[in-house]
Amino acid sequence: MRHPILHRWSSRVSPSFSRCSRAVLLISAWAGLAALPLNPADAQEAYRQPDYGKFQVESGPITLEVWSWVSGLDKAAQLFEQAYPNIKVHVNNVGGGPGEYQKLQTAIKAGSGGPDVAQIEYDFLPSFIVTDGLADLSKYGANDAKAYFVPWTWAQVSPDGKAVYGIPQDTGPMALLYNKKLFDQYGLAVPTTWDEFAQQAEKLNQASGGKVKLANFFPTHAPWFISLTWADGAELFKTQGDTWVQMLNNPVCETVLAYWDGLVKKKLVSAIPGFTAEFYNAIGSGQIASSVEAAWGPGVLAASLNDKTSGEWRVAPLPQWSKGQPFRSGNWGGSCNAVPKQSKHPKAATLFCVWLNTAKEPVLSNWNSYGIFPASLAGLSSPDLHQPDKNPDKFCGGQNVAEVYAQAAQAVNADFAWAPWFAFVNDNYNKQIDALVGGKMTPKQALDAWQNESMKNAKGDGYEVKTK
Amino acid sequence: MRQHRKTALLFLAPFLTVFVAFYLAPVCYAIYLSLFIRRRVGIGPAKEVFGGLANYFRAVQDADFLNGLKNMFMFGVVQVPIMLGLAVALALLLDQSRGLFMKVCRTVFFMPYGIPTAIGALIWGYLYSPNLSPFNQILSALHRGTIDFLSPALVLFSIANIVTWTWTGYNMITLFAALQNIPKELYEAARVDGATQWDIVRSIKIPLLMPTLKLLFIFSVIGTSQLFTEAFVLRPLGYVADNITPNLYLYLTAARDANYSYAGALAVLLALLIFVISGPFLRRIGSQ
Repeated sequence: MRHPILHRWSSRVSPSFSRCSRAVLLISAWAGLAALPLNPADAQEAYRQPDYGKFQVESGPITLEVWSWVSGLDKAAQLFEQAYPNIKVHVNNVGGGPGEYQKLQTAIKAGSGGPDVAQIEYDFLPSFIVTDGLADLSKYGANDAKAYFVPWTWAQVSPDGKAVYGIPQDTGPMALLYNKKLFDQYGLAVPTTWDEFAQQAEKLNQASGGKVKLANFFPTHAPWFISLTWADGAELFKTQGDTWVQMLNNPVCETVLAYWDGLVKKKLVSAIPGFTAEFYNAIGSGQIASSVEAAWGPGVLAASLNDKTSGEWRVAPLPQWSKGQPFRSGNWGGSCNAVPKQSKHPKAATLFCVWLNTAKEPVLSNWNSYGIFPASLAGLSSPDLHQPDKNPDKFCGGQNVAEVYAQAAQAVNADFAWAPWFAFVNDNYNKQIDALVGGKMTPKQALDAWQNESMKNAKGDGYEVKTK
Repeated sequence: MRQHRKTALLFLAPFLTVFVAFYLAPVCYAIYLSLFIRRRVGIGPAKEVFGGLANYFRAVQDADFLNGLKNMFMFGVVQVPIMLGLAVALALLLDQSRGLFMKVCRTVFFMPYGIPTAIGALIWGYLYSPNLSPFNQILSALHRGTIDFLSPALVLFSIANIVTWTWTGYNMITLFAALQNIPKELYEAARVDGATQWDIVRSIKIPLLMPTLKLLFIFSVIGTSQLFTEAFVLRPLGYVADNITPNLYLYLTAARDANYSYAGALAVLLALLIFVISGPFLRRIGSQ
């Protein structure tokens, strides 16, 4: 996996040398690289990455405390330690998503006890920006890395285009992950539109006597639902001058929710909370034939199912609302690495974040160990993401999974923002969907309640929010 | 006299240090925090400004918080008597039996208390999950349909079940110890007077258990007001309301919404409420 030339190069550029000698070494390293007799595989090696030598770090031995739920990140961290022997990296998994955020919020309020680097999803980043607890990485040269990332991800970490609150790590463009074995068994066609998707759901229901559902509607993961509205052009939050705007009950959301509610009510899709033993059991035992998943989905599933049903899956582009429309996708999750202001080594932390998410080795390592789909442009289009004998490709029968998701990534609407009170919105969704699935509300009523209760919470916390 | 006071202070110092650092100081800090509100101008970071009792006025009108308190009272009224009733019955049964059987039962009943609450709740979470639950698998094998133990209508009862499972054994052991302390002469005297076993239970054992039972009742009421872990652990498995218990609600206000001031006010109100409820009981027990 590790590229010999890159490794040699990166281990030579170690911060243990003085800046001057490092620059000399850098030049000689590049010269050496150019002078090497390149084989054809190395010739297509045009992997763009920033000049890490530009990033100055604090002097003396440094240990960076990193909070992340990405399993396998410790492997990437070890690569960093080899390249920068003066900097030790301690990766600490303090819990996925909310588990980490609650600890991080507390540490920021307390003023100490936080990490040097924290994993934060884009949708939760604004709630940390407003605490004033995150360092502005533009002070440490982060804007030099801007050109190396998918533009919409940079817009997420740098809302005003100046201050930078994190370095994008991954994105979660959406596609349809389907179980080819089940599709073949029941004679299903891979749907390209949501109409076809509903027809196949009906067909599968009849063919399997209701035992196999075509997909799962995630009743407790608002960002999953939001990604599908994102793919249909919805905007849920934006700023207008000095005011926030929240539009959770917009017509697109209603169309999408009514569509899935219809499938759930007809029992054509299941409605099991995601990331639970219940869900993994259903999908691993052939009770669910497909799932609308983000780019990291196949990797997470492969790991969570312990390679059960491995090789049976394939990825297809996200179904569209109409046949002739330009292809569109949405995004679920994806995260960045942020540096809390309380970090004693913000420069080293910035270097680590930039290196982790742009250098080839960690980007590939993260994709193969956890299916972290790169936000870096070079990573996204790297042919090396295709490793048929490794997950997530192996899980998908050797298919080039990244290719499908790279296409989806380019079809994600860039104008999409989140609000600082999203944590509340996220949980409140579960309440309304529970009432919807339980038949106590219509999709419209559920969305109105979602909008109104979230609005009330935001206003109670002092935000100026409008509905339009 | 002064020498005595010094010695007393010296012995109290370890306790007082911990008590002040980890109990009094956080309480004072929470009260201090609760007096601030957040002012926001535009979309930038908020400013914390002194707001007097604004957070307290907001709390007493907060339907979510009040609903959480209602749940807490319901829970106390239903779960505490069931648990203590069970504990008394089991303690009396154990007190009647002798030998190995008693020892085995005593240990088995007490065991759930030894399991960390979070782990107990996780295991119950599996037992409650709609399709994997063995209860539901038996029900569907019998074609009786399944029960969604985590649905909003049932989740409070599901939590009550976990709490009862955890704490009945603990309460039983305490009551059993109290029973063992009753002088055997009382039973002999009663038998001489022609009392049946039931008479002994009714007229000797239960009256002498009352002080212990009252104390356990107070502990249980306080425990009810602090309900958190079970609900928190069950949350990722489905929809469990933010305000199912007041403690979960104020935790989310602080840790999720980062609104520490408002959470501080909620915590102070909750503490006052418990104080008002349990204070008179404690005083009466103390005077007995």
